[in-house]
Amino acid sequence: MDELTREFLIESQEGLDRMERCMTDLEGRPQDTALLAEIFRSVHTIKGTTGFLGFKRLEKLAHAGENLLGLLREGKLAADGPIITGLLQLLDGLRAILKSIETEASEGDGEDVVLIGRLEELQVPVQVPVAAQAKSPVRVRAGANSTQAPANDLQLPVHAVAAPPPARPAPTDPATLAPPAPEPVEAIPEPAAKAPVVPASPATLTDAAKPRAAAPVTGTAAESTLRVDVTLLNRMMNLVGELVLTRNQVLQATAADPNMTLLSRRLDMVTADLRESVMKARMQPVSNIFSKMPRIVRDLSQSLGRRVRLQVEGQDTELDKSLLEAIKDPLTHAVRNSLDHGIEPPDVRQAAGKDPEGVLKLRASHEGSHVVIEVSDDGAGIAVEKVRQKAIERGLITPERAAQLPERELLQLIFLPGLSTAAAVTNVSGRGVGMDVVRTNVEKIGGKVEIDSRAGKGTTLRLRIPLTLAIIPALIVRSLNQSFALPQGALSELVHVPPEQASAAIEWIEGAPLHRLRGKLLPLVFLDRLLMPGSSRKLAAEQDNFIAVLDAEGRRFGLVVDGLADPEEIVVKPLSAVLKDIGLYSGATVLGNADLALILDPAAIALKAGVVLSAEEESSRAVDGEEDEEAGKSLEYLLVEAAGRQAAVPLTDVLRIEQIPLSRIEYIGYRPVLNFEGQLLPVEDTGGVLAAAEGNAQAQIVVVVCREGNRHVGIAVSHVLDVAAGGDLFEAGTSQRTGGVTLLKQRVTGVVDLGGVPPLPVAENAQMEWNQVAEAMR
Amino acid sequence: MNTAATALQHGHKAVALEEICSVRLGQAMFGVPITHILEIIGAARPQPVPLAPAYVGGLVHYRGDVLTTVSLRQLLDLPPREGPQAILVLESSGGCFGLLVDSVCEVLSVSSADHEPNPSILDQRRKALFAGAYKLKDSLLVMLDPERLDPMRLAAAQAA
Repeated sequence: MDELTREFLIESQEGLDRMERCMTDLEGRPQDTALLAEIFRSVHTIKGTTGFLGFKRLEKLAHAGENLLGLLREGKLAADGPIITGLLQLLDGLRAILKSIETEASEGDGEDVVLIGRLEELQVPVQVPVAAQAKSPVRVRAGANSTQAPANDLQLPVHAVAAPPPARPAPTDPATLAPPAPEPVEAIPEPAAKAPVVPASPATLTDAAKPRAAAPVTGTAAESTLRVDVTLLNRMMNLVGELVLTRNQVLQATAADPNMTLLSRRLDMVTADLRESVMKARMQPVSNIFSKMPRIVRDLSQSLGRRVRLQVEGQDTELDKSLLEAIKDPLTHAVRNSLDHGIEPPDVRQAAGKDPEGVLKLRASHEGSHVVIEVSDDGAGIAVEKVRQKAIERGLITPERAAQLPERELLQLIFLPGLSTAAAVTNVSGRGVGMDVVRTNVEKIGGKVEIDSRAGKGTTLRLRIPLTLAIIPALIVRSLNQSFALPQGALSELVHVPPEQASAAIEWIEGAPLHRLRGKLLPLVFLDRLLMPGSSRKLAAEQDNFIAVLDAEGRRFGLVVDGLADPEEIVVKPLSAVLKDIGLYSGATVLGNADLALILDPAAIALKAGVVLSAEEESSRAVDGEEDEEAGKSLEYLLVEAAGRQAAVPLTDVLRIEQIPLSRIEYIGYRPVLNFEGQLLPVEDTGGVLAAAEGNAQAQIVVVVCREGNRHVGIAVSHVLDVAAGGDLFEAGTSQRTGGVTLLKQRVTGVVDLGGVPPLPVAENAQMEWNQVAEAMR
Repeated sequence: MNTAATALQHGHKAVALEEICSVRLGQAMFGVPITHILEIIGAARPQPVPLAPAYVGGLVHYRGDVLTTVSLRQLLDLPPREGPQAILVLESSGGCFGLLVDSVCEVLSVSSADHEPNPSILDQRRKALFAGAYKLKDSLLVMLDPERLDPMRLAAAQAA
């Protein structure tokens, strides 16, 4: 294939993608001429180039489409349902031919007579009044582009066929373009002749400016962008990784030399900047996959007889290209599920007192180092009872256990393979292979899936995706005198077992090591024994042991390692196929000290060690992030000690526990803050830990980083003691649950009020906030 | 005219000078065509990979990538060596990999006329690794074939 054709294919694909996006918007705003102009341009560009390259079939089809679009664009036709369907068929037709050109280097022998005929039929307005009315909307000239002139030329033959509506205005003088038009919209009667258009165009442009402002100006973006091969970007990423390492070594080597400090600082900054820019270059907006959804929703809702409105939010949220590819299927699946199982048919909805039109919401947003993508519907929700029955039926859970489980945990069962609540298998879904695939795919890229559903209200599926695959947070662990990296995503907690406690903490059932973690038995895997089966490990009682509690694709186990090093942001390097085949490593990385470390794959370790995915364990997976008030189950708390007193922090809100030197705490006015991963974290010091340690330069304090609403706050404590389940306390004589305290280890313990931590001053109203802060301090 | 005559003698093979990098492994010398060598890393300590096939010598960091190395000692059933080793970064059709050797010696120019194929009495395993030998003035330089040392090929050979 020659360069020109390839270029044409890429450009045409992009054009069609743009067209698809516009098409679905068009359904909501059929009068939007900017959209029509955009669609017209895409088809027109294809037509123009095909003629040049000699693709006759493509040209014919594009031509037929262009004729129809021309009429639409000029307001002679209204974009109603059938027309949009026709245009979507045109889109598919064009795609099919392009595909054939790409794969077989020819257009194929097919004839598009039917489609072309259909497009021509659509050019005849069904009702004259509609057509006449449709003439009123603003006509947008999309800048002084070349599409204008041929478009008008093309109209001539069409008019003859399309029987112009009676109310057609005579060629208008440019002067009448001025505001006093009767319609509410700024209307510009369409000049039928081509000649007056040219002088009129400046006026038209200004008049049209207002409605157009809403539509994105896509034309200009193309001029400032450049197509880059992904392999080149990957290479750049690699080299930047290399530079980061070299920088680290330079920094270490020059630390002692004051003359070099400035230089190495500068190198440090430039490197960091460069790394960020290269990473940014790989980012693409989620709209790239969101834009496929309207079409799927449209087609599916038609075939399923649903009425669905799609709402999309946060389209600009960016994600690494490879991750975007990876979540395409899970997301499509989730959308299909919502339509098939979630949103009910219109009559059922009406009977339930809901709007017959269901709402499917796609939302993307940033949350820390993750992108959260939500698929929510206002449909029937998941019938928890049905899940319970199915799970028992399939033997995924025992009836006794099922009876005990709270609703939220039962819901998580739908991620198990083989569980579908659909009464019948449809071609859309119901085979029970859906949700587990969604989860597997998302976890494969280090993400997480959560589900939340209220019967009768709707279901929300939340995909938490890391920003990038190339760099992941990991905990470096030591075993066999080697460093290994454990992805933080799978890590839920760490347990330290000192030598003297080893015999009590590690129990055995016939050679199977177990640890009792808050009353539940956790299977253990010794990393060194797993990696070196013949090795005679030192007895657990002779050394420190660390248990990393991992949760990988529903398999929960403890990985026993010899030591822990710092958490690090690691750059993931692929392994050669020979080593990938071992199955335990997902890659390798170069650590800050220039050592290499293999990245462990928790799911593979679980499999290899024979940790099974049991429904029992599955169901105990806690869904983090939300408090479960209704279920009334006991919450787990982190028990902390601050200056001699004990306090509890709800475990679900705890993000990290950081031990830092006191010197890292800085102050804004009176308020202690911590510069944490580049973000400012307000530190709450109700316990007086900071005050107590003041003056002691070597003091170390512990900051519990918590999630509070949309922000993060830090709690300064002296020690973290334990994790325990809290019991409710009732005020004597009443049955009212008391707030702010909980029964922890049979002791009444105060719960830290995270909401009470005053926010940091915000840029815009900093002054006001400052006053509040000052008041709060007083 | 002399060259033309020799070319005739050897059929299609024209006499050409080839540059060979010689490496040392214990007492033995081996040769690798320098056209296949991307870089030589001296004094490297590859990171061992638990559970990897025995011929894998470990991982090294090479220009932003993590490179799998093949231990020539292990392939030739020699005892492992303590201390740092040299790594030849080789390019094969399957990608790059490292070859662990004791040390790298010198670059020799040899004439293709002095090349002999593997002797038939060589054991199968070595036959698979060697690409003939060059007759030097006072010794033989056994040639290694980078293509056949590629870890993927070794894995396939082991599976077979």
